[in-house]
Amino acid sequence: MKLPYLVYFLLLISSSAYAELVKERSKPTIIALAPHIVEMLYDVGAGEQIIGTTAFADFPEQAKKIPRIGNYVRLQLERVIELQPDLIIAWKSGNPSDDLARLEQLGFNIVYSQPNTFEDIAKEVRYFAKLTGHTQQGEQVARKFENELAQIKKTYQNKSKITGFYELWSRPLTTVAKGSWPQQFLNVCQVNNPFKPVITPYPQISIEQVLPADVQLIIQPLSENQKEREGFNWQDWTIIPAVANKQIIQPDADAMHRMSIRSLTALKDLCKAIDKTRTHLLAKKTVAKT
Amino acid sequence: MNKVSTILLALTALVILSAMVAITFGPADIDSSELLTCLVSTCQNPIANVVIWQVRIPRVLVALVAGMGLAIAGAILQNTTRNPLADPYLFGIVSGAGLGATIANITLADNLTIALPLAAFLGALFSVIIVVFIAKVLQRMEQLLLAGVAVSFMLASITQFILYFGEPFATNRVIFWLMGSLARVEMSNFYVIASVLVVAIVTVIALHRQIDALLLGDESAASLGVDVDKLRLLMLGICAALTATIVAYCGGIGFVGLMIPHIVRQLIGVTTLKLIIGSALVGAIFLIWVDVVARSSLPHAEIPVGIITSALGSIFFLFIMYRTRAIT
Repeated sequence: MKLPYLVYFLLLISSSAYAELVKERSKPTIIALAPHIVEMLYDVGAGEQIIGTTAFADFPEQAKKIPRIGNYVRLQLERVIELQPDLIIAWKSGNPSDDLARLEQLGFNIVYSQPNTFEDIAKEVRYFAKLTGHTQQGEQVARKFENELAQIKKTYQNKSKITGFYELWSRPLTTVAKGSWPQQFLNVCQVNNPFKPVITPYPQISIEQVLPADVQLIIQPLSENQKEREGFNWQDWTIIPAVANKQIIQPDADAMHRMSIRSLTALKDLCKAIDKTRTHLLAKKTVAKT
Repeated sequence: MNKVSTILLALTALVILSAMVAITFGPADIDSSELLTCLVSTCQNPIANVVIWQVRIPRVLVALVAGMGLAIAGAILQNTTRNPLADPYLFGIVSGAGLGATIANITLADNLTIALPLAAFLGALFSVIIVVFIAKVLQRMEQLLLAGVAVSFMLASITQFILYFGEPFATNRVIFWLMGSLARVEMSNFYVIASVLVVAIVTVIALHRQIDALLLGDESAASLGVDVDKLRLLMLGICAALTATIVAYCGGIGFVGLMIPHIVRQLIGVTTLKLIIGSALVGAIFLIWVDVVARSSLPHAEIPVGIITSALGSIFFLFIMYRTRAIT
C-alpha cells in the first residue's frame, strides 16, 4: 500500500521541481537597445536575461560583458536574428527607426522605452519587470524610487528660488529649456532657468543673452567619458554674479543624463550643491544688510 | 569578338560572381556547407534560413540594382549635360529626400515603415521639379546644375531649421538615415528599384543615338533633328525617378554616379550605349562590395554605406582634378 503513495509523493516533488525549472526557463531572453534600459533591467533582477545590447551600456560592471549588436547609428540585424531574443526593448527616439521597423516585420516582439520624466522611470521599471518575470522586485524598486523622489521634492519645495544657468555644451553655447530632460532637475531643486520658455528644448544661445539674466549659479555638468570636453570659460565674464561669487558647480553629466534609477542620486547631489549656493547667497545678503 | 564585348562579358561574369560570393559575408555565423544547403534545398537551421533569405539576399540584390541605377543616372546626366562632374545628387535629390525624411520623422513617427520611403521619394522629386522649373524660367537648361546646387542648399537649410526646433533625437535619426544603408532593405524594395531600372535602361537604349548627338553640342544635335530641350528633360526625369527611388529605400549613397561613369569611360568608351551598360555592371560590382565592407568589417557594428562611397568618391574626385591639371 505504501509504494503507490511513495510514487505519488515522488511524482509530486519532481513535478513541482519541473514547474520551477520551466518557470526559470520561461523567463524571456532580452535584447536591450540602450544603456538606460540595461540599467533598469539589472535593477529589477533581469540583467542575466540580456543576451545583446548596444554600445555604451557600461553600467553596472557586468553589463560590459554583454555581446554588442550595434550602436545608435545601426543595428546588426543578422546578429539579432542569430540570437533569437524573446523580447527586444528599444529606445523609441534613440534607436534607428528603420532598423526597428525591419525587426518588427521579421516578427520580433519589440516593446519601447521612452522615459521623459522621473515618473516615467518608475512606470517603465514596473513594466519591464512584469515583462521579464520579476514583477515583485520591480514593484519594490519602483516604489523605493517614487518614495525617494517624493522625499527630495518635499525637502526642496519651499526653498527660495535662485536663478541658474545650465551649460549643456560650450561650443556652441547650448542650454536647456522646457521639455528637456535636465529641466526637471532644475524644477525640483528650485532653480529658475531664464531660458525655460524657449520653444526648442536644447537651444543654442550667445553669451549676450546670459549677461542680462542676472545668473546666480552656473551648472556645468562634465562627463568622465568625454575627456576633451572643455567647459565655457566663465572667468572672462566677472560681470555675471555667479562668476563674481564663484558659484559654478560641476555635477557628473553621465549620472544626470542617463534616464535610470541612478538619476535620483544625481538629483539628490545636485539639489544639495545648489542649496549650498543658496545658503552662501543668503548669508551674503544678511551681511550686506547689517 | 572585339575588346569592348570581351570586357563587358568579363564584367557580367564578375557581377554574378560578386553577388554569389557576397552572400557568404556577414556578422551571423553561417558556414559554407549550411549556406549551400539553404540555397539549393531546404534549410536545416531556421535562423540561417531567415538570415540568408530575408537579410543577405535582399541586401545583395538591392546593392546590385542600386549600384546599377546610381551609376547609370550619373552616366546619363554627364552625357546629356556634357558636364563631367554632373551627378544626380547635385540636383538636390538627397537634400530633398532629407527634407522628406525629416518631416516624416517628426510628424509620422509611428508609421515610418511606409511613411519614410514615401516622404523621401516625394521630397527628392520635389527638389528636381523646382530645379527644372528654375532652369525653365531662366530659359537655360545648361544651368541645371547651378540651379541644383542652389536648391540643394535651400532645402538643406529648411531641414536644419525644422530639426533645430523639433524633437532633439530626430536630428540623429535623420542624419544617420542620410548616411545611407542597405541594412533595412527587403525583397519588395528590390522589385520596385529593379522595375524603375528596367524602364530607365530600355528608354536610354532606345534613345542612345539622340543622346550621342548631344555630345556634339546642342546646335549640332538640333541640326541632326534632335529636340534638345525635350530630350534633356526626359533624361532628367528618368534620372530623378531612378535616384529618388534608390534614395528612398537606401538613404544617401553619394558619389557612385560621379565616379563609376569616369572609370567606365577609360575602360570601354564614351558613347552612350557602351557607357550605360558598362556603368551598370561596374556600379553593381562596386556597391555589392562596399556593402560587404559595411556589414562585415567591424565586429559589433555596421558602417553606413554612404560614408564608404563618399570617402572613396572624394579621393577619386581629387584624382580627376589632378589629371585635368596635368593635361592642360
